[in-house]
Amino acid sequence: MATLVRQPAELPDRAAPRVRKPWQLTVARFLHDRWSVAALALFLLVLVASFAGGAILGAIVGHNGDTPFPYGVDDTLAPVGFWSHVPDTLVSNINSYGQTLPPPKNTPTTLFIAGADGPLGRDELIRVLDGGRASIEIGVGAVIISALIAIPLGCLAGFFGGFVDAIVSRLTETIMAFPLIFFLVFATVRLSPTLRPIGWGTYLPKGVVAVALMIGVFTSFYPLRLIRAQLFGLRNAEFVQSSHMVGASSLRIIRKDLFPHLVPTLLVWGAIAVATDILLEVGLSVIGVGVQAGTPTWGSLLATTTGTIYTSGLPQTGHYTIWQTLLPTFGILIAVIALNQVSEGTRRALEPWARR
Amino acid sequence: MTRLGLYLLRRTAAGLGTLVAMVTITFLMYWALSPQPGRFVYPEGIKITKFQLQDGAHRLGADRPKLTQYADWWWHLAHGSFGHQWTGAVLNDNKLTTTPIGPVLYPALRETLSILLGGAVLVLILALPLGAIAGRRIGSLSDRTISLVALVGVCTHPIVVGTLLDKLFSVHLHWTPYGGYCTFVKHAGSTGLPFTPCGGPVDWFTHLILPWITFALLFLALYTRMIRASVADTIHEDYVRTARAKGGSELRVMTRHVLPNAGLRVLTMVGMDIGTALGVAIFVEGAFGMFGLARLSVYAMVGNESISALDLPLLLAVVTVITAIVVIGNLVVDLLYAVVDPRTGISYRPGRTKQIAAGVM
Repeated sequence: MATLVRQPAELPDRAAPRVRKPWQLTVARFLHDRWSVAALALFLLVLVASFAGGAILGAIVGHNGDTPFPYGVDDTLAPVGFWSHVPDTLVSNINSYGQTLPPPKNTPTTLFIAGADGPLGRDELIRVLDGGRASIEIGVGAVIISALIAIPLGCLAGFFGGFVDAIVSRLTETIMAFPLIFFLVFATVRLSPTLRPIGWGTYLPKGVVAVALMIGVFTSFYPLRLIRAQLFGLRNAEFVQSSHMVGASSLRIIRKDLFPHLVPTLLVWGAIAVATDILLEVGLSVIGVGVQAGTPTWGSLLATTTGTIYTSGLPQTGHYTIWQTLLPTFGILIAVIALNQVSEGTRRALEPWARR
Repeated sequence: MTRLGLYLLRRTAAGLGTLVAMVTITFLMYWALSPQPGRFVYPEGIKITKFQLQDGAHRLGADRPKLTQYADWWWHLAHGSFGHQWTGAVLNDNKLTTTPIGPVLYPALRETLSILLGGAVLVLILALPLGAIAGRRIGSLSDRTISLVALVGVCTHPIVVGTLLDKLFSVHLHWTPYGGYCTFVKHAGSTGLPFTPCGGPVDWFTHLILPWITFALLFLALYTRMIRASVADTIHEDYVRTARAKGGSELRVMTRHVLPNAGLRVLTMVGMDIGTALGVAIFVEGAFGMFGLARLSVYAMVGNESISALDLPLLLAVVTVITAIVVIGNLVVDLLYAVVDPRTGISYRPGRTKQIAAGVM
């Protein structure tokens, strides 16, 4: 018997009404929020400034952030101030009595925009820009590492529950009640001899990987708990049950059905966690267990002026300008506030129904 | 009351369990790190001989069976003493002198508790009115200003805030004394950092006011934000409208009907932030040249760099005291919670700003 099922009529060829996919709607909502877009632009600016700014500025003024200029500091080793022209020579003109004389008459000068640093006389502004690179690398690296730890463990605890979940939850609860920084200091000191040599040229200074790894491991409890809580609410949902019913394996359900639900949570957490980890790096540097001395990061630059907790509290001699405290602080402030707003905007764009 | 008693008993047992676990883990970890306790007796750096290592360990009692040493620690603790530290051991005339930990630890504990308790009071004094003002009209100019200032406060590291405040008010304006700590009770041995005798409530207050502000600035943001959210939640409730309709003044409506709702959330957050606060205290003490428990703990955990060795008794003492503070603090909070709200088990999940503070701690 010939089929009587009517073939579906050809759809008219005119353009179907434009249906936007959920992620397109999310992006549109994010772009609609001008504060969040401004914050994202600001963070990208910080990113460009810290990864390329040092090199560009160095090419313009003609020196880099690692070269010590003997005339960048005066006789008492106090650095030159804002917008100073410093004799462009790497040797001091010392007479036979050991006194430092002014440089030869026709020495060219080079511009130090935000003055010099500490007793060495390096360009402070270039160092702050370079320091941002290491700080942001630590922040982003630590977030990636804690995500790599938290996603499998969180899925295990949240999806299967029971015994695994009991252990993971008790452990995270107990550890989170204690001051994280003590664990971090203890582990960093013990492991840094092994981890510190890892690095790659100027773009991944030695010690960055070690600090990022440590921070990443010890902050993975937050995303772990977030993922666990989210999966607890979802694991008995209908779409999971139907996947079970058609015979999908647990791994496939986690990968295909549940993981997409975690992406919003992870994005919101990730943006704020980069900010958190930048501040943690400052703390580690101030304690004196951060990145190797000499490598500029925002934390280590601050530690030269505030002193580590081993040296502070003693009267600081006048070897520092106020810019050495303020510039890294502004860098951190801009990055952290921008990331905070990006995270807030992402959350609002992903969950427009949620209360502000 | 029996229920409360049982609850208390259970929580105390859990706290003791945590303490035992922390001490045991520290003890095991210490011996897993292949330590060389003998270096404390012969601090000559790398030239130490094998005999000296053994002899040093023997003199410190570190070569006894591990279980004996472990039991010894609890025995000391049961007698209210922390034993003797290895750091600063002096070998003289074939006789080893070590210093007891108590006289080092108790003054340090006093400093840190002064910072934490005073700072907590300051946070609450400031956060309640600010949160109430911000929460009454979300999105208004005052709300935006308070939120922005709070955000800047939480995004600036306490070591920077502390250093700048110290430079401004102590070094340049001479309004407050420069660094150090003064005891609340005046006695003969009490000195401040410039080694002038000081003590008594006034000196104690002037030395601590800047550390309190530094400490408070970080936590102010979190608590203001939370109280703001709570006030914004309750301000439109029917009973608030009723209170207004009955002619209650705005102040009375806020203090009697709106703010008490934030009380439980504040209590929960205090419980969760005790650990964080100890971490923040490291930087507050560092910025103001105080030597409290937090800094002592960092010293104990980093170990003696010049001889690259960890001081086990000091480490255990510090771990014990920190655990005790966290456990007792949480116990007090839980107890207050059970008294204030009989329906225990309600928990408040703090907002994302908590995570920024986690970065600092």
